Amino acid sequence: MAALSDAGIGTPARSPALSIVLTGRNDDHGVDFRTRFFRTLRFNAEQLAAQGIAHEFVFVEWAPPPERPRLVDLVFDAVPGLEPGRCAWYVVDGRYHQALSLNPRLAYHEFIAKNVGIRRARGRFVLTSNCDVFLGRAVLDVFASGRLEPRLVYRAQRYDLKENVGEEGVAWADLEDPQNLARPPRALTLPFMAGATGDFLLVDRESLHQVRGFNEIYRAARFGIDRNFLVKAISSGLSIVDIGGPVYHVDHTGSYHLTADEYAGREHEAPWGNRGWHSRGVSYVNPPTWGLQHAPTQRVAPGQWHLDFSWDAVPPMVDLKGVVLPASRVGRPSPGRYTATRAPARSR
Amino acid sequence: MKRPPRILGLVRGSSYDALTEQHSKAEARAGRLAQQLEETKADSRGWKGKTEEATSALKKAQDAAATAQKQLRQAEKQRDEQSRNARKLKDESDKLRKLQEARAAELALLKQRLAESERDLIVAREQLMAIEVKLDILEGAANVLDGRTRDIATRRSGGVGTESGSAV
Repeated sequence: MAALSDAGIGTPARSPALSIVLTGRNDDHGVDFRTRFFRTLRFNAEQLAAQGIAHEFVFVEWAPPPERPRLVDLVFDAVPGLEPGRCAWYVVDGRYHQALSLNPRLAYHEFIAKNVGIRRARGRFVLTSNCDVFLGRAVLDVFASGRLEPRLVYRAQRYDLKENVGEEGVAWADLEDPQNLARPPRALTLPFMAGATGDFLLVDRESLHQVRGFNEIYRAARFGIDRNFLVKAISSGLSIVDIGGPVYHVDHTGSYHLTADEYAGREHEAPWGNRGWHSRGVSYVNPPTWGLQHAPTQRVAPGQWHLDFSWDAVPPMVDLKGVVLPASRVGRPSPGRYTATRAPARSR
Repeated sequence: MKRPPRILGLVRGSSYDALTEQHSKAEARAGRLAQQLEETKADSRGWKGKTEEATSALKKAQDAAATAQKQLRQAEKQRDEQSRNARKLKDESDKLRKLQEARAAELALLKQRLAESERDLIVAREQLMAIEVKLDILEGAANVLDGRTRDIATRRSGGVGTESGSAV
């Protein structure tokens, strides 16, 4: 297959080989979100450009707080090397968040936001990641060499680095120094190769459209939606493979690793919802309008759009037919075991 | 001359000589016979020893035969007992084999039922997972709608909104 290079693909404005879908907003999530996001974006943009990888960043600014400047208005000053022509920026009206909510404690519908980006991504391959995830050297090499195949879900291990890493700027030496690891990396194990799944999911766009992105039916939890995508992918006949190298994430206040214990015994109050939902046991069928297809889209500037609110774009609050059992496939892993981890009744 | 009368114990010289010769011969013959008698006695003694040896050997042989006979009877007895044991074991073995066959058939049936139960259990668990997920969705929707209703009701009555404030 051809390398994902600019020479082979043409200008990003036409059809990039790779779309990198990210979502976030200027709400100080995890403390100092902007700084962490900008430094990560700067690093990744530089590395992608250095390797000549034809790419676009598809950024979904989900329900931005009205009292704060939007990231789109800050990012190009904060990351001067970021080419506007390589960016597609979607700002989603905050009312969608409330209209879609099935759990008022969830402050962010991360995966529906990602679906908005996936739906509108133009790359032949689409990587969904997070704003503070640094692409690793091996990952970039695979992009550059074009060793990507359709019908595969590529996963990467996440290396968590200590909180102080990269405060003065990020270099390969910081990322790749074993001394900087916050904890031993979690291995990717078959069949699902789960673990920090939301930080790196790379699939060809056609397959992503075939499975209709992340689960939009179950909106009561944020936790496990990424893993549920893997169940759906396997059920849809895709295979999951390790891309061959890690991505990096710097620990920060609010990291799941650092805050999970705070909600011990009162998991139903956690901002990520019920961790014990059967994300490994069920699959889903999103409506064909997944990713807010019918949201009125207003182009506010080159490469920048605003998704206005319309009830026509909001999927049904309850769509129980969309909860299905994973299809069994010969030689494929069976769904996860049942575990009675249903949280006690959640009061508002 | 006239022949001396025998009644006087008188014999003629020729007769005397003949008689003497006969006497000598008789003595020689008696000597030989005595010698033969001694030899015969010695032979007799030898045969008697041999007879005793043979008798002893015969007795030993008879004892050995008796012992062998006894051992044979014991062996036969043991053989009969072993035969009985073997028949008994064979009978038990047949019983066990039949029992084992029955158990094997029962085990195969149980395995089949277990596999069916496992499949049923998997299906039930899968359905249960789906139901619980659906319940989560319904519960979440109910909570959200409840919050929206309360907000609307509160606003209409001029009160303060609820904490969740999730109405759109």
